[in-house]
Amino acid sequence: MKRRTFLQKSMAGVAAAFAGSSGLLTWVPRVQAAVISKTFYITEGYIKQPDETQVYFKGFSSNANGLDVPGAALIVQEGDSVEITIANTLGSNHSFVIDGMVDSGIIAGGQTKKIRFTVGAPGSYLFYDKLAAPYNRLVGLHGGFAVMPATGTNELYPGSPTFVQQYLWLINEIDPLWNTQIEQGVLPNTKYKPRYFTINGRSMRVPGHPDYGNPDIDAGYNPDTRLVGSIGDRTLVRILNAGLAIHSMHFHANHVEWLARNRQIRADIWEKDSLLLPNNKGSLDVIYPFQPPVDAWPPVTTGHFPMHLHDEMTQTAGGGLYQFGAATTISFK
Amino acid sequence: MFDRNNQSLRMRPGGKGSTCYTYPAAPATPGLVTADATFQRGIYMNGSLTMDDGRRITVWGFTDGIGGWRKTAFPSPIIRVIEGQIVHTVLRNSGMFWLHTIHHHGIEPSSENDGVGHYSFDLASNATYIYQWKASHAGTYFYHCHTNAVLHVEMGMYGGLIIDPPEGQGTLFSGGPRYDLEVMWVCDEFDSSWHRLRWNAGSCGADVGLNDLNPDYFIISGVDGAQSALTAPGVAVQMNRGQRLLVRYINAGYLPQRINFGGLTASVFMSDGRPFPKPIQVQSLESSSAERYDCIFQPELPGRYIITVEHLDWVSGNTIGIARTQITVS
Repeated sequence: MKRRTFLQKSMAGVAAAFAGSSGLLTWVPRVQAAVISKTFYITEGYIKQPDETQVYFKGFSSNANGLDVPGAALIVQEGDSVEITIANTLGSNHSFVIDGMVDSGIIAGGQTKKIRFTVGAPGSYLFYDKLAAPYNRLVGLHGGFAVMPATGTNELYPGSPTFVQQYLWLINEIDPLWNTQIEQGVLPNTKYKPRYFTINGRSMRVPGHPDYGNPDIDAGYNPDTRLVGSIGDRTLVRILNAGLAIHSMHFHANHVEWLARNRQIRADIWEKDSLLLPNNKGSLDVIYPFQPPVDAWPPVTTGHFPMHLHDEMTQTAGGGLYQFGAATTISFK
Repeated sequence: MFDRNNQSLRMRPGGKGSTCYTYPAAPATPGLVTADATFQRGIYMNGSLTMDDGRRITVWGFTDGIGGWRKTAFPSPIIRVIEGQIVHTVLRNSGMFWLHTIHHHGIEPSSENDGVGHYSFDLASNATYIYQWKASHAGTYFYHCHTNAVLHVEMGMYGGLIIDPPEGQGTLFSGGPRYDLEVMWVCDEFDSSWHRLRWNAGSCGADVGLNDLNPDYFIISGVDGAQSALTAPGVAVQMNRGQRLLVRYINAGYLPQRINFGGLTASVFMSDGRPFPKPIQVQSLESSSAERYDCIFQPELPGRYIITVEHLDWVSGNTIGIARTQITVS
């Protein structure tokens, strides 16, 4: 399997191999709280975009020699004890923050810091670096943090509709000029013009492109991102927006059940095919029901469909390359 | 389905590497049956819209009938069917070399009939395809081209799609509210600099600026919202006290919008073709691209109610343009 190509900044020209898991969340319901430990290394490097441009990023990486953008998603349960060790391998100050739950304070360049906290209310959270806001977050220092309720069942919150599997989609948009300025240690001073749009750090590829179907590069095939189910496989999708722009999420083939936005539980659950995703750490929680596409004639139970952002600028890369943006595939097995 | 040797691609080489990511084909419709309702659509790419400042902006769209070439309406003619019907949308890609599809937004057919090029096919030039689908849920939808959609939808390749319940027009959905008159507000923004691009700009690797939308016109149902939409027939509403008005509001732009109802209160009964568990009462709504909301108004006081559609910057949330129309209650 060809891994997503990125270049370690300190080893320019040498492709290293590492891919972090960022999306599909493996979870076994349990009734007891647990102690969860995780080490992140703050690293930097370059990730190749669909138009071949190498763009600078920083990440909360699972390996000191890797670069994970976003950082590996964590899934925990309300009441768990979490220990996060952050090793800042860079020379700049960074932090690790989950709003309402934990704030590491400054982790200086070269410093390693261990933070402990008790997990709060169920829902979908972003962990991110709040220093030099929003630049450190935008340049890649973010990841998903999913909190399950302590009910021991597959619910978003106690009493919510249930599901059988869950995914986490981290949406981001990238202005490479800003990333370059951050690399140079200066705060971006140009008008924000994102040119790349990603889900879990990846953009879409399409038939005919050499990376089409490569699960480490193609957002349509990355197993953490691509929704796969059989009829009845109700799927919770936790959608988090690390970026600066408001987006519209459009699902083909099924309407979704809209459970929450910005962790606010909705009194009434609406069925929607297009939903507003707030910017700046905004979130949506929806259930994709994997029902037979209701308007198909003759009826079908299989097929492949897109989920894409409908603010269509996000469906481009480098100012063109329609279909190479923030989208993925929904696969009815 | 992928055919890089298609003549159209040789005729229109792209930027880097001359590879255009388009998928021309013209298959037969799987499981074709006799339809209860059939709509013929062709293509026009030579339309123009005269704005209130006198500028003429190029628009593309679908014709009523498969003949094509000449602009018949912008937005494209409405597709209106009854819940339960089997529908054929017959697209004749009448043109020299360009590719198009029809995606019925919010309708959930099979992959072949979903109209997304890279999951099925872009309809080849001078070919015909019958999109077959069943109208399962009453409500407000729209249809649009999904080939190089970032450009083709911006160019205006969309039209309204309404599914009436079995009770027929006058009822929003079975068990839902009745209405005496209705209007569809399809709210969109134009970046006129995009309207000079070729059909495949953005499909072939070159940087054509399609990541950067800077709208300079704001329209309601194909009418400039600077002034004309305030009085345009079919957009502005004249009604009597006691009547019930249904507004089918569609965000057909790419940016978030906030529609303000000028002091009137809307009872919103459904969105995206699905009824709410219970309606909500609002004086404004925020929406994102492609959302639809079905709003019932029953004004009690005569007057002129100015409706404003604010188009919001996707980063700052600031209003960057306003389109206006009105409801006049006698």
